Amino acid sequence: MADAWIDGSPVALRAAAIEAAKLLKASRLPVVAGLGTDVDGARAAIGLAAQIGGVIDHMHSQALLRDLDVAREAGMMVTTPNEAALRADTLLMVGPGLETAWPDLNARLIKRPPAPEVADRFRRRIFRLGPGTKTRERYAQEAVIGRAAKDLPAALAALRAILAGRPCRKLRDATAIDRLAAELRAARFGVAIWSAAELDGVAIEMLCGLVNDLNRTTRFSGLPLTPGDHAAGVLEVCGWMTGFPMRTGFCRGFPEHDPWRFQASRLVESGEADCALWISAYRAAAPDWDGNLPIIALTGADAKFRRRPPRVHIAVGRPGLDHDAVERFAPTGTLARTQAKHASQAISVAQAIGQIALALASDRGLSC
Amino acid sequence: MLTCIKGGRVIDPANGRDAVADVWMRDGRIVEAPPGDARADEIHDATGNMVMAGAIDIHSHIASDNVNRARLLLPELHRASPPNPAAAPLSNAPSSTFETGCRYASMGFTTVVEPAVAPDAALHAHLELADVPIIDKAILAVLGNDDFLLDSLRKDETPSLIADYVAWTLEASRALGIKVINAGGAAAFKANAREFSLDDVVPFYGVSSRQIVKALQRAVDELGVPHPLHVHCNNLGLPGNAETALATIAAAEGLPLHLAHLQFYGYGKEGPRGFSSAAARVAEAVNAADNLSIDVGQVMFGQTVTISSDVLRQFNARTQASPRKWLIFEADANGGGIVPYDYRPGNFHNAVQWAVGLELFLLITDPARVFFTTDHPNGAPFTTYPDILALLMNRDLRAEWMAKLPPEALEVTTLRSIKREYSLTEIATMTRAAPAKLLGLADRGHLGPGAVADVAVYSQASDRAAMFRAAALVFKDGELVVRDGKVTRYRWGRALWVRPERDPGIDRRMKDYYGDRYGLTPDFMQVPDGAIQRPDPFELVPCHS
Repeated sequence: MADAWIDGSPVALRAAAIEAAKLLKASRLPVVAGLGTDVDGARAAIGLAAQIGGVIDHMHSQALLRDLDVAREAGMMVTTPNEAALRADTLLMVGPGLETAWPDLNARLIKRPPAPEVADRFRRRIFRLGPGTKTRERYAQEAVIGRAAKDLPAALAALRAILAGRPCRKLRDATAIDRLAAELRAARFGVAIWSAAELDGVAIEMLCGLVNDLNRTTRFSGLPLTPGDHAAGVLEVCGWMTGFPMRTGFCRGFPEHDPWRFQASRLVESGEADCALWISAYRAAAPDWDGNLPIIALTGADAKFRRRPPRVHIAVGRPGLDHDAVERFAPTGTLARTQAKHASQAISVAQAIGQIALALASDRGLSC
Repeated sequence: MLTCIKGGRVIDPANGRDAVADVWMRDGRIVEAPPGDARADEIHDATGNMVMAGAIDIHSHIASDNVNRARLLLPELHRASPPNPAAAPLSNAPSSTFETGCRYASMGFTTVVEPAVAPDAALHAHLELADVPIIDKAILAVLGNDDFLLDSLRKDETPSLIADYVAWTLEASRALGIKVINAGGAAAFKANAREFSLDDVVPFYGVSSRQIVKALQRAVDELGVPHPLHVHCNNLGLPGNAETALATIAAAEGLPLHLAHLQFYGYGKEGPRGFSSAAARVAEAVNAADNLSIDVGQVMFGQTVTISSDVLRQFNARTQASPRKWLIFEADANGGGIVPYDYRPGNFHNAVQWAVGLELFLLITDPARVFFTTDHPNGAPFTTYPDILALLMNRDLRAEWMAKLPPEALEVTTLRSIKREYSLTEIATMTRAAPAKLLGLADRGHLGPGAVADVAVYSQASDRAAMFRAAALVFKDGELVVRDGKVTRYRWGRALWVRPERDPGIDRRMKDYYGDRYGLTPDFMQVPDGAIQRPDPFELVPCHS
């Protein structure tokens, strides 16, 4: 099976790498986008972007930055799934999409028994604040306050006002909100869970403010579920390598962060970017933007691109499946080594970028 | 290759030397002067300059998940620096790993210890350290709020089980030593405690902070780990907390113990504001206890960010955040908190803190037991080191600084009355010879034959800050890496770690624990060589037998 293509025709890996290097060298503003890759892939991609004066963005930056913006504008208390499973007597699940954001949520947290030393002191109570969900029956002790996502900020604000003893407008289910406020106040160690992919920034900020307020008298923390494609792991690498999150550019020879200016889709659609290196190793995903710029794609072999095949396509393996990887380990929120489940010959993103960097460094290579 | 640094004043207190001499290096090590007419392949003229071993920083938060949270929390601090691609774009806040290594090297530092890594975040820290160029580094693993240890103490497990667990943690996390941070405080905070002292008891677990510190101190000592238990006491930053420091010193009971950033525990409750320096009392206790070493955690004025695994303290400090934002993170064991802070010279409390640090430096008599730190970036960024060295070496300079501070703040300290000035030999002891000894690095911190060829050459200048800010030459493993304060060569250092002997039975025990508690295997705690993606990323340091 082929593992590299130029304009859809199979080529040797080296030829693809040389063509990619040529495109990147000729580019005035390349974007390194998608960034669905493991730690080594991210290290290589960010290193390459710094070298070629490019821009780095992740396909889920929008959701990721929504959480980060609340922290870096206001403040945030967070904990880990392991800690929540061990100690939480109260879980507040906010908004839709939690099980989608983290399919292990049930097994790893909701249904895990608390630590023995706290287990005899409480019965875990679970509350859901958000749109009705089919999963409702799964939680025997769950109380649900149905809300459309757009109404969540108002409901959270009401909860926060009630807990702070401030007056607030009567909402239609005021009694349920009152009751929930009392339950939250009675928590001994509560954890609010949300997925930034489904909430807007205002709702997240209000929820984090509510968590902070609850700590005046009791203990509460937050558990943000992070978007897919290893967004949170890549964020870490980006942080230590550049000092910034994604949406950072090296155009002037040093890293600058600007969530608007360095948004890959905007740069492509506006025509500012003239070459894209697209990385999606966890899924064979294609970019969701259009543009006439040449694309170098590092994805699974079966990615479906919108209009035409990318100029250069190098098939890469899936981290932790085809090759060993360092990835964010959800239960602790830290980086850990995953061993390949079915080690294969497929190359990693880091190796593919290594080939491109080699071709970039070699003038002889570029003359081929 | 044979290299010679010729004709410099060699200041090498570990070998009792302060004389003009040549320093010879071959294959990354210091060697004896070759006999007869042997020719060096490379000669560096150091006439009129000072030659010291590479400096060693025992306590600087440069690489961990918490450090990274601080980077992400404060993008505006990066922007505040001039956009100069040749220099670090960030001078006053935690910086990228790459800039960290370059800036340390340019000051003549060649080994730096990141002192606060949660064992489950060890791989993260080592990955960051792998991207810190030039210098060697190490981590201290943090225990003392972890469920396994507290649970074991509650169940009255044997000291040998605790020692095996400490050894298992050191090996899994590839750490050079163990640190305890507000022992039990983070666990108590989870049960809604808002203050926690040495004899307070952690709810649910029923063990006191003192018991935790004593158990870890004993384990580290019995395992032969060269670096004694590294202690961040309770009650950091609070008025009157000198009592906590004194109680902790007494609790050491003659066994080796290192107290971190003691400046933050040098406070009394005297004076018109109920906040004063108790540094003289604390220094006296340190002078009297030769089992004890301390580092200072000097405060310098300016914007910085506090990064601490003392989650309880950081939670309480969040209301003082400047700019007004913060991040509190709770995990198994300590977690951490990030609180930006601006130390202002006109602020009474900040001026007292600045003075307390200098008092400790100057009143503790043995330069081999007081270590040079700012608790980077908690007291100040490490880039302020040259200014602090200058203050220690010149009482007139201190007087100039004091003239700009609130007089009422200085009145609750003894700083004005202190005349001592550090000599270059004392500086070399404090920053080279002593830290190598404290960490058990026999082949560092000196320039005797067999030592690692980590060498810093400084031009002789009356402006000591300028002199220490930009080393004339720096060699790492015998290779020239810095000239006139500019990095001339990128290379990758190693992480130093210890692997004390342990009963292999602990592996089974840990497997069962993680299985029962979390439904996991402890594999995620491991730091395999292959995960680092650099050649020879680790160097094993022997334990005492």
